[in-house]
Amino acid sequence: MTDVQTIDVGHLKAYDISNQDPLWWGQFMFVFIEGAMFAILIAAYFYTRLRMDVWPPPGDQFPHKLLPTLELIPLILSCAGTYWASEAAKKNSRGGMAGGLTLNIALAAVALWMRIVEWHSLNFNWMTDIQGSYVWAFLGLHTFDYIADLAFTAVLLLLVLIGRCGPKQRLGVHVDSIVWYFLVAIWIPIYVVIYWGPIIVETQQ
Amino acid sequence: MKTTTRVAKVSAATCTAFTLLLTSCIYNRQSAIDPAGPQSGRIDTLWWSFFWLLGAIFLIVMVLTAMTLTRQHRGFEQEPLEALHKASEKTEARLRSVITGATIVSIVILFVLIVASTVTGKANSELQNKKNPLTIQVTGTQWWWQIEYKMGDPTRSLVTANEIHIPVGRPIQIRGASNDVIHSFWVPNLNGKRDLIPSRITTEWLEADHPGAYRGQCAEFCGLQHAHMALWVIAEPEDKFNAWLEAQLQPAASPRTPEEIKGEQVFMNHACIYCHAIEGTPAAGQSGPDLTHFGSRRGIAANTLPNTMGNLAGWILDPQTIKPGNHMATIEVSSGDLQPLLEYLESLK
Amino acid sequence: MRASQDIYPQSVDVERDVEQLRNSWRHPRGVLGWLSFTTHQAIGTRYIVTAFIMLLAGGIEALMIRTQLMRANNGYLGPERYNQIFTTHGTTMMFLFAVPVMEGMAIYLVPLMCGTRNVAFPRLNAFGYWMYLFGVLFLYWGVFTNTAPDVGWFAYPPLSGPQYTPGKSTDFWAQMITFTEVSALCVAAEIIATISKMRAPGMSLNRMPLYIWSILIQSWMIIFAMPAIVLASSYLLSDRTVGTHFVNPAEGGDPLLYQHIFWFFGHPEVYIIFIPALGFVSAIVVAHARREIVGYTAMVLAQIANGFIAFGLWVHHMFATDLPQIGEAYFTASSMMIAVTSGVQIFCWIATLWSGRPRMTTALHFVYGFIAIFVLGGLTGVMLAAVPLDLQAHDTYFVVAHFHYVLIGGALFPLFGAFYHWHPKFTGRLMNETLGRANFWVLFAGFNLTFFPMHILGLKGMPRRIYTYPPGMGWDGLNLLATVGAWIIAAGGILFIVNFLWSRKNGEVAGNNPWDADSLEWAASSPPANYNFEYLPAVTSRYPLWAPREQRGVVTGLATDRREALVTTLMDAEPHHRYILPGSSIWPLISAICVTIGFAGSVFNGWYITWGAIISGLAFIGWFWPKRPLEPAHD
Repeated sequence: MTDVQTIDVGHLKAYDISNQDPLWWGQFMFVFIEGAMFAILIAAYFYTRLRMDVWPPPGDQFPHKLLPTLELIPLILSCAGTYWASEAAKKNSRGGMAGGLTLNIALAAVALWMRIVEWHSLNFNWMTDIQGSYVWAFLGLHTFDYIADLAFTAVLLLLVLIGRCGPKQRLGVHVDSIVWYFLVAIWIPIYVVIYWGPIIVETQQ
Repeated sequence: MKTTTRVAKVSAATCTAFTLLLTSCIYNRQSAIDPAGPQSGRIDTLWWSFFWLLGAIFLIVMVLTAMTLTRQHRGFEQEPLEALHKASEKTEARLRSVITGATIVSIVILFVLIVASTVTGKANSELQNKKNPLTIQVTGTQWWWQIEYKMGDPTRSLVTANEIHIPVGRPIQIRGASNDVIHSFWVPNLNGKRDLIPSRITTEWLEADHPGAYRGQCAEFCGLQHAHMALWVIAEPEDKFNAWLEAQLQPAASPRTPEEIKGEQVFMNHACIYCHAIEGTPAAGQSGPDLTHFGSRRGIAANTLPNTMGNLAGWILDPQTIKPGNHMATIEVSSGDLQPLLEYLESLK
Repeated sequence: MRASQDIYPQSVDVERDVEQLRNSWRHPRGVLGWLSFTTHQAIGTRYIVTAFIMLLAGGIEALMIRTQLMRANNGYLGPERYNQIFTTHGTTMMFLFAVPVMEGMAIYLVPLMCGTRNVAFPRLNAFGYWMYLFGVLFLYWGVFTNTAPDVGWFAYPPLSGPQYTPGKSTDFWAQMITFTEVSALCVAAEIIATISKMRAPGMSLNRMPLYIWSILIQSWMIIFAMPAIVLASSYLLSDRTVGTHFVNPAEGGDPLLYQHIFWFFGHPEVYIIFIPALGFVSAIVVAHARREIVGYTAMVLAQIANGFIAFGLWVHHMFATDLPQIGEAYFTASSMMIAVTSGVQIFCWIATLWSGRPRMTTALHFVYGFIAIFVLGGLTGVMLAAVPLDLQAHDTYFVVAHFHYVLIGGALFPLFGAFYHWHPKFTGRLMNETLGRANFWVLFAGFNLTFFPMHILGLKGMPRRIYTYPPGMGWDGLNLLATVGAWIIAAGGILFIVNFLWSRKNGEVAGNNPWDADSLEWAASSPPANYNFEYLPAVTSRYPLWAPREQRGVVTGLATDRREALVTTLMDAEPHHRYILPGSSIWPLISAICVTIGFAGSVFNGWYITWGAIISGLAFIGWFWPKRPLEPAHD
């Protein structure tokens, strides 16, 4: 006989597609890390800017604002696709996941194309001056993450389409949504800094 | 010819070793707890207050810690502890209130220390309000100090190196700059340190209240020869300082003896002039220390060695052995030219 | 260990379950198998062993430094070699020893203390280890090919910039940082997830052992501090390799910005190292004073406060850069505040020892040594927080003395104590107590002989990082004393190694709980099975193994034919769902190699970043690609 109490967990679910899963926490940590990095980069941008008498440095064009502003539309809308997919993952709806992820990828690709067109039109690069270094760092880091997450989303879509989509993969679809929301959300302050920053904090000689 | 150079090198090195032994006593005052000015004096007082107060706290904590070894449980219930792994609620409460009390006491002590520290800092910054300051720009360079006296009258500006003369009792404003990497200006007997940062000007105020020679050295790691970047601050009474200043404002003394005349020619005909300036001669190089009054300075190679003829010979013949990696080029000086060159340089008082 | 049916409920078939657990948690065979391990005991051990090798390397470098400074104008090391050695010493000790060893201990201990089977992300854990190992190899490849970094472990620009330090040495250094930070961030993320979601049922937040608290706080600090150093080293690297201007003063970049970012990481880094060590102290004090900690709540709050305050005092490393006075006053106050929160913990330990029945084991010896050294180091820290004193002591041997008191006293002594304390758990055998005490006393004496004179040297004007000094400065005798002390420390280290090797064969067999300690790791066998517990424990108190028998509990119903653990809720640790842990995998190693190709190659050619990203991406896809058949759901 025993006098030890037992807790039987056999009846509990073998997985849970929600924020209770450790994987969700792992992705959340990733968001924190990235967020901390961008926050420090933004702080460093303003620190540097406040030391300069003239901003933006002579010769740098003011970035165009039309295309980057329009870019926000597909970018924010792409979150709807993400949400659709992550809810469908909970309900194990293959069609919903496929639709949501496709919408997400399509809109994100449009936004990426707009960003690259605008990026291409800058008349300075990372070596030109200190503003160039920062603008390219913001664009480079964010776009790198953006493309990486897009690639991962494409892999998830592929898994959904070919039907190799068990609970782990559905959990992947669900937690991947946090990273996408984050990438969209952090883009907004970066957008303000890159495209409006030189105007807001402009000083001429 | 090569052999003679080697012989000269060896003898110079021997000479250097000897002089180092004999003159080692001139390396003396470089200490934060041997104050020679009001700034360092206040810091010294603050230091000793911290020392005694915190030292007492350290002793009390150590005694209490040691007592945990000896009392092993006396005064507290034994048996329940064994079984329950905790003391009675009364004992626990008593321990908690002792911890609370100790915490409150430490907060109070730290508050006092913060006030003491802030008051000292404030008092030390008062010096800049004193009248009749002297402004000296110190520019850190790998691995020596350029010293510029900024006078109201620009024609009376003075450039020298590795040695600062100041009048006793007058506030000195040190403007710190750097030509390359970050250095730190530190003469502990007079005041704390101040970093010299490229693209910035930093400021430090100091004052000496006793005449004397105070050594300082670079305190921020600045590369290969960080260890050999020292300077002297010589505090003198006002009249002596003025005499020094007048002498330094003169162009270099003209060579008098035939040896010195020859030495000047040796200097002018070698690469020395590309880096060093001697006021009143064609030598106008800017990247090395100004040598106009070299003979009057205490040390060579940013006070790596005392300024003696033997050391100078060793330094000119083989700077890379004495201070490896420094930016002084090794120049071939024939043995016949060496002595005149030394005589000339040492005559630049 | 034989499973004993009698302590478990009748409802379970212990023999069958244990058999299945053994099979599902068995390590794969062969070299390839060895490279695929993902159990936390294996990965934790690898971290600890690698980190101890780094401690030896850093220690040898320290001996070289001390030998060079033994007397004035010593010619043992030239300036170039000396600068390489002290840079490598600092870098090794901070990045390659102290942080990884704390992580290794956490990886080993956290799942055991939380009562679960593995960390939350076992493959990420393995990936983190490989990244760390490749970082080690990368830096030491530089050291042995004479491209050792020589600009200090802080690498201030512009000295570390392309103009004043051409060549590859600083690039090696900066990229090594990236390796170790990736590793540290992986560990931090999985530790937070493990502690937050995988504690034993009933282990609510206020029942977590203090060590778990400390490692949780440390992991959060890593999450917020490490991005800063990644940024700082990236600034440096991109300025050096692709010509950006982030910290280039000639183009409007500011070298002080680098210092701000570096120390925003660098100060919390110190706490990242010693906060887990304080957790060791708590665990040792409780177990060896044989009583509950006095002031648990105060301890937890003080640790959390420490974690926060640590981010608010980085500027005290920069007082000499001529900052505005008001800022200085703020940073003085915040720096001194840390003394209060640390003081509270010291008081609690003393009170616990005072009212307990301390058993003078080697582990507790190290705790007493820790208190003596750490309190002294903390008090000199209070001195350094005062701006006027700091302006004198900054960058002198006084500071060298201070942080060695804090780091060796505050982290290394508890670490040695922890090793004596948990060695029976790791290996099944106790270490020799007589040798252990000798080890302690030699280390303690050598440590104080080495570092106490440095306080005086600093006050007498000896700056840091000088490769030699002239005679007649009044520094000779004290330096000689410090050098003798350093060799005594080395002797202490050798005693430790001897004891460790001796105990592997001859140590007394420990049993599950040789110290009659309180926390869950002592309920597992020694050494623990790959699955840690036959049945996961459930707890009803803060000191589960001291609780009466009728209050103990076990979890049944978890699948044993696959690697499965239990997810519980964040606050109260109520069972929520079952969680399938991945098994052994070679993909972490493959991914780490791909990432390494990108990182290491980028030092030589920027395009490697792109190629590295592509192959790493492919490796990660391979990692996450679902295995056939899809995992059964069982629901």
